[in-house]
Amino acid sequence: MKEKMKLFGRCTAFLLILLILLSVASYIFMPKNNKKEFGMDVITANGILGEKENTIDVLIVGDSESYCSFTPMYMWEKHGFTSYVCGTPGQPLYDSYRFLEKAFKYQKPSVVILETDTIFREYKYSKHLLSRMQGMFPVFQYHNRWKSVTINDFGSPIDYTWTNDHKGYYLNQKVIAGSDKGYMTPTDEIQDIPDLNRRCLKDIIDICQKNDAKLIFVGAPTTKNWDYAKHNGVQEFADKHDIEYLDMNLIWKELGIDWATDTRDRGDHLNHSGAVKVTDYLGKYLKEKFTLPDHRDDAAYSAWDEALKRYNASVLAGE
Amino acid sequence: MDELIEILEEIQPDVDYKTCHNLIDGHYLDSLSILSLVAELEDAFDITIPTVEIIPANFNSAEDIWTMIVRLQEED
Amino acid sequence: MQSYCSLIYLGIFLPAVMLVYSLMPQKHRRKVLLLASYVFFWLVSGKLLVYLLMSTLSIHHFGLWMASIINEKKSVLAQAEKSEKKEIKARYQRQLRGVVTFAVLLHVGVLVVLKYSAFLGTNFNLLLSALKAPFSIPIPTFLLPIGISFYTMQALSYLFDVYRETIKADRNLERLALYMSFFPQIMEGPICRYSQTAMQLWECQKITYSNMTMGMQRILMGVMKKMVIADRLNILIKVVFSGYDKYDGSVMLIAMVCYTCQLYMDFSGAMDVVIGTGEIFGIKMPENFRQPFFSRTISEFWTRWHISLGAWFRDYVFYPLSMSKPLKNLTIASRKHLGNHFGPLVSGSIALFTVWLFNGLWHGSGWQYIFFGMYHFVLILLGSIVEPFVKKGTEKLHINRGGWPYKGMQIFRTVCLVNIGELFFRANGLSAGIAMFKNMVTNFTFASFRDNSFYKLGMDRYDVIITIVAVAIVLFVSIQNERGISVRKSLAQKNVVVRWAVIYALIFFIIIYGAYGAGYVPLDPIYANF
Repeated sequence: MKEKMKLFGRCTAFLLILLILLSVASYIFMPKNNKKEFGMDVITANGILGEKENTIDVLIVGDSESYCSFTPMYMWEKHGFTSYVCGTPGQPLYDSYRFLEKAFKYQKPSVVILETDTIFREYKYSKHLLSRMQGMFPVFQYHNRWKSVTINDFGSPIDYTWTNDHKGYYLNQKVIAGSDKGYMTPTDEIQDIPDLNRRCLKDIIDICQKNDAKLIFVGAPTTKNWDYAKHNGVQEFADKHDIEYLDMNLIWKELGIDWATDTRDRGDHLNHSGAVKVTDYLGKYLKEKFTLPDHRDDAAYSAWDEALKRYNASVLAGE
Repeated sequence: MDELIEILEEIQPDVDYKTCHNLIDGHYLDSLSILSLVAELEDAFDITIPTVEIIPANFNSAEDIWTMIVRLQEED
Repeated sequence: MQSYCSLIYLGIFLPAVMLVYSLMPQKHRRKVLLLASYVFFWLVSGKLLVYLLMSTLSIHHFGLWMASIINEKKSVLAQAEKSEKKEIKARYQRQLRGVVTFAVLLHVGVLVVLKYSAFLGTNFNLLLSALKAPFSIPIPTFLLPIGISFYTMQALSYLFDVYRETIKADRNLERLALYMSFFPQIMEGPICRYSQTAMQLWECQKITYSNMTMGMQRILMGVMKKMVIADRLNILIKVVFSGYDKYDGSVMLIAMVCYTCQLYMDFSGAMDVVIGTGEIFGIKMPENFRQPFFSRTISEFWTRWHISLGAWFRDYVFYPLSMSKPLKNLTIASRKHLGNHFGPLVSGSIALFTVWLFNGLWHGSGWQYIFFGMYHFVLILLGSIVEPFVKKGTEKLHINRGGWPYKGMQIFRTVCLVNIGELFFRANGLSAGIAMFKNMVTNFTFASFRDNSFYKLGMDRYDVIITIVAVAIVLFVSIQNERGISVRKSLAQKNVVVRWAVIYALIFFIIIYGAYGAGYVPLDPIYANF
């Protein structure tokens, strides 16, 4: 017995030291700013880190559908509440969770939107595990920075200064027409949400609750990625967990989406013209359902007005 | 024993069989030399060496081989 | 759980098994190991676990059947007259042979059907169409249970050993089941003999501090080989082997060397994790590698690389075949005509051919694997044929065959030959292999280094440097081992600060320099597919 205790003690000591070393290494390898030259990954989404503390009202996570369909600057201009899209290409749910985790450290959004396309993206448990470890010890995420670590990484504090003028939105005005043939044909079939994804969704529900943010599901219109069975799957889950679910794939006609002009890749993603239609609806919907503040006359938010000017300029320039 | 060493030297002359104790494990005898050796031994000592006897423990030194030969002669 | 170097195995599965194991009293520990093994198998192959269970039940049954024949033989022999003994022995031997043949055919049959029916079917259809036959047979595909190539070899060795009476058949089904399924070795070996691991597994020693640290060291070294080296080389190798016509000869050469290196690091790294896991539970498994790249001949190489497979073929195919009646007679006859050196070569080469045909096929069902086997068969045979001439030549030229220059040349030559073999082994089909080899020899320039395009193939300068550093570490340990100095043993004698520092250093070397996360594609364990 004594021997067992000794072994147990040694294991504990070993793990404790390991944890300390991991924290130290994590500090060294963390990018010291959220700019690309500091080694930050997906800077558009991580631009959230450079936003002033507690200034974001609505947080959006999801895969490419999220950053192609929702444009925060439009909602700012029309309604005066702030939003940010932490969407990344092919974002799996565990990454959505990680972005929320990161954002909640600095922001107190009252609404969190999960774009639903990511809900069916399958992944392996090991990926999920690694992602959680990366959340705890960023060295697991930024270890490859050994190629560019400098002496400054050992002493300087972490200070995020960069923000994104489009607030995570990806502006694209190209048009490659698609068709709505067979899109959203009604069915009673229900596509199952994979087990791992369900568990991750529950974690997302929990973290939103803990941070007093209302979680809603929003599906952006996409003919390539969405169908009625998926809608039914998400609807079932949303009903069970009492989550508001707005599926724009059902009301795309009402939104005025024209698949001949509003998509940049045959219905896979919306272009700017489509995004404006979708965001117009979403902004009104949010304003109606939730009490969101209007900061447009608040001097503390002047940076948003300036960003808006630059945003509008890029839209006009046809970028 | 001398006859055995003679046979061994004919097959692989680069070894001092009086001192070497890792003929197999030291790669002095490979599997093809073992075949020659077994054929020679069966001939010279009038024994049959069954497959189960071909293990490193029986072939690692001249002494080991000799012990095996004597044992097989007795068993017959 | 795709590999032993995964977070799930090392971070969750293994610690959980260790914890439950150490909390259980000794008599229940074997149940923990067996259950853990089946859970492991289930996690990888699901319902295909049935195949493993069937194999286990079958060797248990056939083992006992042979045991009863052997017992009967003994009791009959004890009462028999001396003159009858030979006849009695032969009678029972025939019975035994019948049982073992049936059992072996059963196991090999399952393996062949599951693993080779697609290959055989495809080639049969090719033959049919070449003969202008108006029909073709449907090609079945089966899901392969993980490790079937490995545990089938273990099952066969058990059957042969019982048949040869080198071990006693085991009545204890649980022990046999554990021998067949022990989770660290199920996926990539080593192929253990019953006499090597069964009893150790049954003992279930408690986990001690020194076993744990020694095991952990070994595991970390293995993970380092896999994650820092093998995974990092992965992209480059994929890119070059799939687009070999786009690059010049120097890139081919590097890809070839990188692949051999990757194969070694992946497989020997996995073995370090496997054997290290065994060490934690106090189980000494046979080594599968002994610094293979210091071999002086191809034949020696195969006694140092994947040792357990080579030994299996040697003990259960090569010797039984070359010592069988007809081949023995052939040996005697040919010795008279060809002399002592070349005489045994005749039957030896027949046996050797069989071994290498099976060895090639064991690695996979494809012509390039057969070619791979034949390549090594020819090299080993040639080595034996030219040996007397080389000896004469070196004597005439007064070259010291024991000296370092000569040994070094032999080692270099062997490494080159092995590399070329692995090129064909990895190439996408035999013709691609030939094209790559041609490209390497006829189009050898350093253009892609002069214009730096090499660094765009999946490894930048930093990757190249860290790979070289990591390979140097492995090389250092290998050289020490080759000189008979165990780095691990000398480390164990140092004080606790040094020992822990080394472990932490290894852990952080892996975390920081491991090729994982964004931008890297981890390599699936190569040998788990065989």
